[in-house]
Amino acid sequence: MTVVHYLNQFFAGLGGEEAAGSEPIRIDGPVGPGRALAAAGLAVDVTIACGDDRFGEHEQESLETLLGWIEELDPAVLVLGPAFGSGRYGYACGVIAREAGRRGVPVVTAMTPDSPGVIAAEGVAYVVPTGSNVASMKDAVPRVAALAKRLAAAEPIGSAEEEGYVPRHRRENVRSGRTGAARAIDLLLAKLDGDVRTEVEPSADRVLPPPPVPDLATATIALVTEAGCVPQGNPDHLPTRHANVWLRYPLDGVGSMSPDAYVTVHAGFDTTFANQDPNRLVPLDAVRELEREGRIGALHDTFYTTTGVDTPVATAVKFGQEIAAELKSADVSAVILTGT
Amino acid sequence: MSSAPADLEIARFAVGEVVGGTQTGRDAGTLHLSLPELAVSAAEPALAEATVDIVRPGEPVRIANVIDAVVPAVKADDPGATFPGALGPLAPAGRGRTNVLDGVRVIVSCDWSVTGNAEAVEFPPSFVDMAGPSVERAPYASTTNVVVTCRPSPDATIVEADRAVRRAGLTVARELAATTIGAKPEIEPDDIERLHVGPSSASDLPAVCTVLQVASEGPLVDTFLYGAPLGGLVPTLLDPLEVLDGALVNGTYDWPSVRNATATYQEGRLIRELLAADGKRLHFAGLIVALGYLDTADDKQRSALQTARLARLIGAEAAICTTFSSGNSHTDTMLTVRALERTGIRTCAILAETNGGLTDHVTEADCIVSTGNEDELLEPWTPERVIGAGDDAMAGERVPLSSYLGANDETGAFDLTAVTA
Repeated sequence: MTVVHYLNQFFAGLGGEEAAGSEPIRIDGPVGPGRALAAAGLAVDVTIACGDDRFGEHEQESLETLLGWIEELDPAVLVLGPAFGSGRYGYACGVIAREAGRRGVPVVTAMTPDSPGVIAAEGVAYVVPTGSNVASMKDAVPRVAALAKRLAAAEPIGSAEEEGYVPRHRRENVRSGRTGAARAIDLLLAKLDGDVRTEVEPSADRVLPPPPVPDLATATIALVTEAGCVPQGNPDHLPTRHANVWLRYPLDGVGSMSPDAYVTVHAGFDTTFANQDPNRLVPLDAVRELEREGRIGALHDTFYTTTGVDTPVATAVKFGQEIAAELKSADVSAVILTGT
Repeated sequence: MSSAPADLEIARFAVGEVVGGTQTGRDAGTLHLSLPELAVSAAEPALAEATVDIVRPGEPVRIANVIDAVVPAVKADDPGATFPGALGPLAPAGRGRTNVLDGVRVIVSCDWSVTGNAEAVEFPPSFVDMAGPSVERAPYASTTNVVVTCRPSPDATIVEADRAVRRAGLTVARELAATTIGAKPEIEPDDIERLHVGPSSASDLPAVCTVLQVASEGPLVDTFLYGAPLGGLVPTLLDPLEVLDGALVNGTYDWPSVRNATATYQEGRLIRELLAADGKRLHFAGLIVALGYLDTADDKQRSALQTARLARLIGAEAAICTTFSSGNSHTDTMLTVRALERTGIRTCAILAETNGGLTDHVTEADCIVSTGNEDELLEPWTPERVIGAGDDAMAGERVPLSSYLGANDETGAFDLTAVTA
């Protein structure tokens, strides 16, 4: 069983701020906090380290070197930090944890719950919460070591509440041992007694409406849809459900969505009416009219499409961010987003 | 339950083992099945073929294209009246005596894609695995299953084929349970449930109703009440006992993990829990059946408001709202919760989650039972045998939990939930 431990320049003993530009380095055996891990029962075989500035300024390069070593060592578990409240160190731990985790390496790191590293880890790694400075080392190390040992042994890890790690915003299935019916009656009767509890909370991720477009007559408008509208024959094989891609198609010289030219390949609704007139899904005919009348500045020359059926929210968020980035760079100021 | 005489007696017969043989019958706890005879009983003009198999827990078998599960049941005094309207002639369900088999389910499989129906081709994979990783996640791996595999006749319309498939499954379920009748010597049930629904004498207990959400959108996505599809339903009261006794039959074949099978209604876990708590912890005020998957905002709002009005008319102070399927119908649940809470009726909703959490939410929904995350990808598994599919049915692939019948059941039948990790 191989255990690999990542540290920054300071904890690896390379130096303080003056050594923050240090390139990735690989050291056999434990260093610094790695010795504390060993004392807590987790023997570190190889230490890898990188300067915080080096990582921040040359992320791709540094990551490539570090991941190369991790791949070669094929560890049973990768431990990073603790980074405590250090933003740059925490960020490096989070990014490396995410990338190694995505390559199938069990990963545990430690930092303050508000560290940028927690966000960078994107829920891939277990993050043990720590205090903001090295004073919490004594408390953090045994918890990190214990979690790492269990991960290395492929033991099941319980919920964030039971285990005390920072919630990864994943919802994992467990058998409760009691039917939903029995739980519903208990929760309802408790609620009637003033004890209001729930097994699931709504997502805190609320999208606030942006300010109105100041002048539509000068604005560029784009058409975006999750209705699965594509050119006839679906040349790029847009999946009918569980789509893993979004696509863009040109609207240059297209006045209207003709049923001969476009089709919808959406598995979530009866597409009969939509396919009789695809403008019902991508309202190109109406927008072209507004364009002619001068009521909008221009129509963006491309429309964006995917199928929104059975799409995990994480995928939908990614699609949205990618499409929005493209629209933003094309100076599009408003979108007509048609959903089904 | 009060001491009033039972309206419905459900006699339960435990089945230890199910074996194939030359005759269908019962011998102590063993059920002997003549598979060819059962296949003949399942024959319908709209079916090109119906075959019957027996699969047991732990066998390396995947049943594919699963459309329904049925509890073997028969009306003891009038076997012909079993599943009235859907199979037998119309008669009130929920009265008299019904014999059911424990430990055995009828699983109906049909590959609709052979019909060329566009909607059917889009159905997601629908499995019951008897071994492999889903055993820990889905309910139908723990019963011995009698699988009825139907192949629609190419000449039959989709409505004819659908009706035939449903009749085939219900017929086999009735035939299995009919082995409890007429045997010499007579077979004694292992247990008799005596169920009664009526006015409560314990008025100081909170009056709790349940809202049973179903979907009925057209052929292959219909729910049947006494044989008639429920499309266009105005929320209405049903006798909980008729639900347990075969008045509701499933004809929806989409999203398996959040689909109510016919067995879901027959088992009626929430109804049974409410009946058990009646007079002790609460007063069971009644069951309202309402549609989910309604098409327009007005339809959704109207159904929610009428559900709340009905709950108030029956004196409910609190309601448990079940959900049917995922996506669209969660908005129906949320609007119903809001309408009930605004009427002063406290609610608990039962819902499945996705990787993205809840599909919809209103602030009034402060008390939710989670029936798990339907997006979980299970470890790959390769069955040694596949029933009900011409292909390898995703052998060796990671299958999402949403493809397993009943895994995220939103009526409270199963014990799966999700925790933050």
